[in-house]
Amino acid sequence: MPAKYHIHTAQAANRFQLITRSGVIAWEEGCLKCPSCVKKACVYKVYEKRGIDSRQMLESLDSVCKDCFRCVQGCPKQLIQKGFNPSYKALGDHYWTPEIISGLWYQAEAGRIPVSGGGYGGAFSGPGFDAMWTDMSEIVRPTRDGIHGREYISTTTDIGRKLMALEFDETGALSVTPPPVVEIPLPLLLDMLPWSPPGMGIKLAILEGAKSLGTFAIIRQSDFTPAMKEYLSNIALYIDGQVSDIEPSVLSALRLIELPYSKEVIAAQNTLKITNSGLVTIIRMDLSPDSAEEVVRLTKEGAEAIHLVADEYGLEKSDRPLFIKERTRDIHLRLVEAGVRDQITLISGGGIAMAEHVAKQIICGSDLLSVDIPLLIAMECRVCRRCKEGIACPVELEGVDPVWGASRIRNLMAGWHNQLLEILGAMGIREVKRLRGEMGRAMFFEDLEKDIFATLGRRG
Amino acid sequence: MDQKNAGLNISIFFCQQIDPNQDVNRRALERELGNRIRFFPLPCSGRIDSLHLMRALESGADKVYVITCPEGACHYREGNMRARKRVAYTQGLIEEIGLEGERLELIMAPAGLPVNIDELARDLLSSEATTGPSPVRGKTA
Ligand code: SF4
Repeated sequence: MPAKYHIHTAQAANRFQLITRSGVIAWEEGCLKCPSCVKKACVYKVYEKRGIDSRQMLESLDSVCKDCFRCVQGCPKQLIQKGFNPSYKALGDHYWTPEIISGLWYQAEAGRIPVSGGGYGGAFSGPGFDAMWTDMSEIVRPTRDGIHGREYISTTTDIGRKLMALEFDETGALSVTPPPVVEIPLPLLLDMLPWSPPGMGIKLAILEGAKSLGTFAIIRQSDFTPAMKEYLSNIALYIDGQVSDIEPSVLSALRLIELPYSKEVIAAQNTLKITNSGLVTIIRMDLSPDSAEEVVRLTKEGAEAIHLVADEYGLEKSDRPLFIKERTRDIHLRLVEAGVRDQITLISGGGIAMAEHVAKQIICGSDLLSVDIPLLIAMECRVCRRCKEGIACPVELEGVDPVWGASRIRNLMAGWHNQLLEILGAMGIREVKRLRGEMGRAMFFEDLEKDIFATLGRRG
Repeated sequence: MDQKNAGLNISIFFCQQIDPNQDVNRRALERELGNRIRFFPLPCSGRIDSLHLMRALESGADKVYVITCPEGACHYREGNMRARKRVAYTQGLIEEIGLEGERLELIMAPAGLPVNIDELARDLLSSEATTGPSPVRGKTA
């Protein structure tokens, strides 16, 4: 059995003060100067360690405070209050919520799964991935020690076309050449970012992150620099120019190339194969209502892997867009119907914001996922999109240290990987490959609603 | 932009309760003036401390405004009053070290919230310039 995949994590401190959910509002005036001030009694030494980050004028106070309210209750003059922080509410948007962003920050800093300790206090169901529940019937059996210790759960995924049957000639020798396959230890690729400040730091951090995780980062051909040559075995080069402009030594060293979708994409794939037969090509296309039909057609024509990309909110390109999980179910089932599902690798991206989205999206039929915005959030991005508007980044990401950035990305992905193991363990599944398309092991709110309520009120 | 304060580095501390949409509204000025304007939203203007104001001057601001909510409108009852006292106190401190007290100014947002931080800030920028470049600038920045 191959060695267990393990992601090495280490605390990677924040560069900026966190934007916290609540803040201390303490008045100095009117203070009685009690000899035993509640501030001195703080067990977390919040007030003693107090410091201001002058770049943001944010105080350390709020990031260290653990909301125990001891000081608030203890001050005899009631000079200390805690209030909601409006800056927290202003983080991100309706999809990239403050809770998601701060959860990702925590994982990137600590390399651990966030545990609230207070149980789940959220809604029963919600839009998007929140309308889906996975079967956790085996949750009582595997212990944490089991999942992370004795038990062997594989998160390895293959990218490439599969042979459906082996053929042999009269002499008994194999008469077909198996197509090339790239194996990665976790079902995640690091994608190009929809927006980010300029500068090489972010790209190098992502590349270094991909290398240490053993996966691939998708890099635009136009962004490729000689400094990236040392990462060639972890780069999936996205062709946004001419293939003839790629140095032959680079082309022959690449294992993955991503081609933008066009009518001639299969011909382009075949041409690339002549130069580098070990190469796996991925076809990148926007997720849309036509995707299922196109994917079936491309699969029959010989495509190896298809990367279907939704927008930042997980929506396909359409006037009345479907959410990524719905469209993926459609595509997966159409491939199954056509009898070609196992020949192709399906990669999905756009709107993947949490570890549970990875598992849920795989259940809906993707083989693996691509992550983008969470990589930036790992490096303290606040999803303010100022960079998109050409305004200075509040957390100075243009000058980020790639080594620090890579360690934050590694920590976040370790958190996701551990959560994936937990889910697989709780479902009693030993291999992430077996999770793909297991829709029978999940419940979909919309389907249940239809099944249960659609017939009500119907007569006869 | 034809403000009298043109060329000066401005820092604006403001109570976020005055403009719930501040993060979006302040972007036009951030784009126009780059790092010459710095906005520091506060959950309550009563969170302002002399240290914030001193740090802002130290890091190159020529003029620092503190915008509070209107009288009687403080979410935390008396934060704006406390902010006023702290600004006055800090003015005394900076005068002692030879800086003009006017480099710090407290502004109360007009009654009838919410206001637009962009409009408010533009008014301030176009108001009569009382200060030139800070002598602190260039030494630390
Ligand atoms: S914090 Fe804002 S400006 Fe910086 S990278 Fe994130 S979205 Fe862009």
